[in-house]
Amino acid sequence: MFVPLAQSLVFGLLVGALYGLAAVGLSLVFGVTKFLNVAHGELLMLGGYASFWAFTLRGVDPFLTLPLTMVFLLVIGVVLYKLLFAHMVKLTEEAKIQNTLLVGFGLSLILQNVALRLWTADTRGITTSYSRMAFTFLGVRFPIVRVASLGIALIALFALDLFLRRTYTGKALRATVENWEAATLMGIDIQRVYLLSFVMGAALAGAAGCLVSVGYSIDPGMGMSWTLKGLIVMVLGGLGSFMGTFVGGIVLGVTESATGYFLTLTYREVVGLVLFILVLVFRPQGLFGTKER
Amino acid sequence: MGRKQVIFIALLIAILVLLPVVVKKDNIINLALLVLLYICLASSWNILGGYTGQTNLGHAAFFGLGALSTRFLWMSGWSLLPSVLAGGLLAVAFALLIGIPAFRLRGVYFAIGTLALAQILYITVGNVFSDISSLRPQDLATYQLVPRYYFFLVLALLITGTTYLLVNSKLGLGMMAVREEEEAAESLGVSALKHKLLALSISAFFAGLSGGAFAYYHVGYYPRFPFSPEWTFDSMMMVYIGGAGTIIGPIIGALFFVVVRELLALKLVELHLIVFGILFILVVLFLPGGFVEAWKKMQAAFARRSKERGVKVSFQTTDD
Amino acid sequence: MLKLSGINAAYKDLQVLWDVSIQVDEGELVALVGSNGAGKTTTLRVISGLLKPASGSISFQDHSLGKESAHRIVELGISQVPEGGKIFTGMSVLENLELGAFVARARKDKDQTLKWVYEIFPRLEERKNQRAGTLSGGERQMLAIGRALMSKPKLLLLDEPSFGLAPILVEQIFEMITEINRQGVTVLLVEQNVRAALELAHRAYVIENGRIVGQGTGEDLLSFESVRRAYLG
Repeated sequence: MFVPLAQSLVFGLLVGALYGLAAVGLSLVFGVTKFLNVAHGELLMLGGYASFWAFTLRGVDPFLTLPLTMVFLLVIGVVLYKLLFAHMVKLTEEAKIQNTLLVGFGLSLILQNVALRLWTADTRGITTSYSRMAFTFLGVRFPIVRVASLGIALIALFALDLFLRRTYTGKALRATVENWEAATLMGIDIQRVYLLSFVMGAALAGAAGCLVSVGYSIDPGMGMSWTLKGLIVMVLGGLGSFMGTFVGGIVLGVTESATGYFLTLTYREVVGLVLFILVLVFRPQGLFGTKER
Repeated sequence: MGRKQVIFIALLIAILVLLPVVVKKDNIINLALLVLLYICLASSWNILGGYTGQTNLGHAAFFGLGALSTRFLWMSGWSLLPSVLAGGLLAVAFALLIGIPAFRLRGVYFAIGTLALAQILYITVGNVFSDISSLRPQDLATYQLVPRYYFFLVLALLITGTTYLLVNSKLGLGMMAVREEEEAAESLGVSALKHKLLALSISAFFAGLSGGAFAYYHVGYYPRFPFSPEWTFDSMMMVYIGGAGTIIGPIIGALFFVVVRELLALKLVELHLIVFGILFILVVLFLPGGFVEAWKKMQAAFARRSKERGVKVSFQTTDD
Repeated sequence: MLKLSGINAAYKDLQVLWDVSIQVDEGELVALVGSNGAGKTTTLRVISGLLKPASGSISFQDHSLGKESAHRIVELGISQVPEGGKIFTGMSVLENLELGAFVARARKDKDQTLKWVYEIFPRLEERKNQRAGTLSGGERQMLAIGRALMSKPKLLLLDEPSFGLAPILVEQIFEMITEINRQGVTVLLVEQNVRAALELAHRAYVIENGRIVGQGTGEDLLSFESVRRAYLG
């Protein structure tokens, strides 16, 4: 009884870290720019494929390509921003959200289907020499690849936190989250802050995609699911609180696997919806957010 | 409506009614049926998305729920109309499940909630009903396209007619006020929550009925198919290409979509999504009013030029 | 130093400013007074680049501001304290002040400027590590002004610094503004508290329904019959 349950919760925790990582990128972009990029999952998918091809064609270890994947997604982020999102900077907040939803939804289907054309619908994953390795603690298996992913997600998160707290640019980002007009009056160039946060979000998606491709599997249609996990986690953790968002990811991961364990795998996905509605009804500021002042 | 418009619409309806009588080719009727199906989807999305300004990223959920329950009830012996009606009501129930908690908060929550509903139903329905759903042998033996065509025609007329009545009613004005400026609407005594929920219910109900019609029409499909996100995308895309928040917009959008898809022979879903995805994004970014807006602008530009030349021309507006 | 001539400005279709012309000379403390909704805040928004005028010209030290973006205008030496302060409540007092010195010109002298700001507002030093959201109303206003000073402005724009404050605090804030001006910062002060502003300012403009309807020294305007009737009761 104990071991299978613990095993399932551990797996939930490990996948939850990646939900969290995906959501933090989404939340960073939304917090600063008020762009709700529903193509975030597709960026993650592209990150996954970048690592997959680097490994399959060149034999490069996925943990080594991680920084490169992030840079790759950063570049894609710049292109997408300049091409599509820069047009929406001057809109009101509501219009921004609405237009980015529309554009993002269109973009997500485009990217998804381009990937389908290029790489077929096959499910893929990276199998390295150490992929099957795991250590066991109290009878519970910890696959090292997924544990390493958790570690990397945590490192990324702490690096982000440090950047936001300690650097001038990071403070400018936080100021923009709070009040973009006041930030402008500080002499902060909002356009640059927007671009920066957007590409940082893309890079984080790339990192998450790389980790997914090595610990789990990727396919062209995965993006929508990951976007959705990210969005639910973002609401769960509270809009604008990054640490809360990450913890929210773990909450979703663990709850999903507990449901899978106690009930049935068939209805696992419904957990996200139920949590989402419960948060909306009982705690709209999120599990860890504070009420809007 | 002006007299010319009334005559034009009557003529259009007459053509649509007579079409299967005159044209006997199944593939043409089928094409016309598809246009009608897409009109139903786009016009129903438009009621909430276009007129009330709430972005619904999960229209497929309502369409799918209608299809799922209609197919189930109808094949288990209910007669067709009650089955379809039940499908519409089920869609409304699920819509309210998201709408009631989400509409009290900011707009983002509703968009996320509808996306979640559609995507999760898509996966879960796929898990639960993994076998293809085919019509019963006795239905297949007597299968005819023409009654299906008329079913969709009646539905499209019903949705368009309801939209027309709604837009010209106090409720419709309230909905549009909510779209323009929610706070201002509230200060005028328009309950934003009530209007949003009402628009959502009507929109979801019609999407559910469309799903029911789809279940009546389609010979065999995987139950999760009508839940797939491209139905949502197609609805949004047609509305925006035609002109959001207009009656004629979704109709033009649907016609344009089906015709272009046929012309380009974009049978493959992937290609159609790439082509129309790009088109959709361009319209949202650079032509927010769609074709209807573009047409008005062209007319205005033409009128200006004519004026400059001193030529007298009279114009009727395309305003609904 | 600052010159607005013939400014017309609108929000969407609603015109708010009509042919507004204002001049502020170096070292002056100029007040712009008028009732609620007269166009005072809009005038400041036009100067700081948050709203682009439909027509008219703005120049600052021979620089035309018409095409400059808001963040560049800060770099040029104009800093605005927005209505209500708009401090970053989730960040510490010190972080707020640091952000004030964001522009390159100010950033290099940050530590020195910080000392100066602490001299003017000792209370801010006491509370430097506190979250700005925990400050009282008066302290928030001090922080907002201090934050603006961190950019080493040549011209300081103040939007209703007295708003929502107790009379005793208003007096304090106005004393501090006089002090800041005495130390060489040119000030354009927007106020609804007309009497206090006119007593403080060297010169003043009266704005009504988006039009400048009067100007003169503070004393002149105070003795002006229509001003007395309209604003001083």
